[in-house]
Amino acid sequence: MSQPMLQVAGLRAGYAEASVIRGLDLEVGAGEVVVLIGPNGHGKTTLLRAISGIIRPTAGQVLLGGQDVTGRPAERIAVLGLVHVPQGDGLFAEMTVAENLLMGAFPASSWRSRRKELAGIYERFPVVAARAAQRARTLSGGERRLVALGRALMRPSRIMLIDEPSLGLAPVAIDTVYEAIAELKASGATIVLVEENFTHIGGIADAVHVLETGTIVASGPYAELASDPAIVQTYLGSL
Amino acid sequence: MAATDIVGIAVTTIILGSIYGLVAIGMTLIYGTLRILDMSQGSMVMVGSFVGWGILVVAGLNPVIAIAAAFVATFILGALTQLVSVQPLMKRRNAIDFEMVTFITTFAVAMILTNVALELLGPQQRNVTPVISGGVNIYHGVNLPYQSMAMAIVSITMMAGLGIFLARTRWGMAIRAVAQDLDAARLMGVPVGKLYPLTMGLASALAGVAGVFLGGLYFAYPQAGDLPLLEALIVVIFGGLGSLPGTVYAAYAIGLIQATAEVLVGTTWSLPILYGVILFVLIIRPYGLLGKPSEARL
Repeated sequence: MSQPMLQVAGLRAGYAEASVIRGLDLEVGAGEVVVLIGPNGHGKTTLLRAISGIIRPTAGQVLLGGQDVTGRPAERIAVLGLVHVPQGDGLFAEMTVAENLLMGAFPASSWRSRRKELAGIYERFPVVAARAAQRARTLSGGERRLVALGRALMRPSRIMLIDEPSLGLAPVAIDTVYEAIAELKASGATIVLVEENFTHIGGIADAVHVLETGTIVASGPYAELASDPAIVQTYLGSL
Repeated sequence: MAATDIVGIAVTTIILGSIYGLVAIGMTLIYGTLRILDMSQGSMVMVGSFVGWGILVVAGLNPVIAIAAAFVATFILGALTQLVSVQPLMKRRNAIDFEMVTFITTFAVAMILTNVALELLGPQQRNVTPVISGGVNIYHGVNLPYQSMAMAIVSITMMAGLGIFLARTRWGMAIRAVAQDLDAARLMGVPVGKLYPLTMGLASALAGVAGVFLGGLYFAYPQAGDLPLLEALIVVIFGGLGSLPGTVYAAYAIGLIQATAEVLVGTTWSLPILYGVILFVLIIRPYGLLGKPSEARL
């Protein structure tokens, strides 16, 4: 394998005195979709926040395309091509859908082509286009998630971090969101995705890691982990 | 009520409301974005009126230059104030009582500016030439000075300009994004380290421009910002902390109450009546006219 898109080595991170991530290693190759499975409160969201620079790791390294970005602020890492769709979407509630999408193209290099990208998003997600002039807070959960995904596509990225895309959605909406993610995978995107269980990731996961108490306790190709009785018993969801 | 009273009230409301709005709107912009009550905003009015005095009276140049110079000078001063009194605390904002500490640190900057002005320029009140002199009799004895008209027009233009800047431009949208979800804005690549001084500079520049006009109505002197600061605080809280439309409504509502009281019962009673109404409204709506319990965010 050539240079991995993302390398995380010995990462420790947390809040105040408490380490939530305790020495975690992770590698994601270009074009790979890596899914982290784990129970709530075991550090999945914290891991993504530490990688994208929202919180500062206390130890370890994060390399993006071979470049050391450890401890850099999120706004700097973002312009290097890391896109993070945070838990709960992170939409700007009082801004319109169109404005939310435009913010996705904020960096100077992508701002120039924002109109073209916006048209592309509208074509890809007609539901989003229909809501363009509405404030984000008036949308349904499924619509919000599609806007968040659309916003993530407004600028070219090298890797996307997606935090629990199924969280709080009705089954129909989850299907729509995962269809969109499957399309991203098909287009060659590199993705790190976090979920609580195996339920939805069947079609898209290349590698799966199980995250417990801040470290990875099991790893393997999807097919292998999904057929391991011990793991499936814990993270069954509804396969 | 006679027709002249109504015209008089309308004119006074527009004039007072516009200037209250211009002084207060920067404070709302800063509160909405940074979560601080910027006590240095009054000093920006003072600095603006001294810049107006310097350009109009000392240098004898034209009013457009005075307004532009006040805008630039207070923009820079406001950005510096942010870098000195707020930015060093940003990283610890969740570990400290950020609102209270910055309330004091920006107040400290205000005190320093007032005393520097006192030291450099002395305590005397300087007459600032009105931007435009003269006036027009608009309706049976209701006189409208051109200065007031210019003040209202410039204030409304600048408030509208701010609205368009926030609604349409890349950096204006970034300011709103930061106000609504800081982490998400950073994930979009918004450099908050630059954005915060820019926001405080912009807000201060609006107060600085207001200062040029207020200097013409009253005087330029080191404490010239004290009353505008208090008025701005009242306007932003009455309108609902952090709500830009709320601030504009509150500015004109306060202008209307004050103008009505002045015309109907006389100047002596206008302030007691105004504060009585504010007291009453805030007891009924503690978050202000358009405020929300969670604080409106731009």
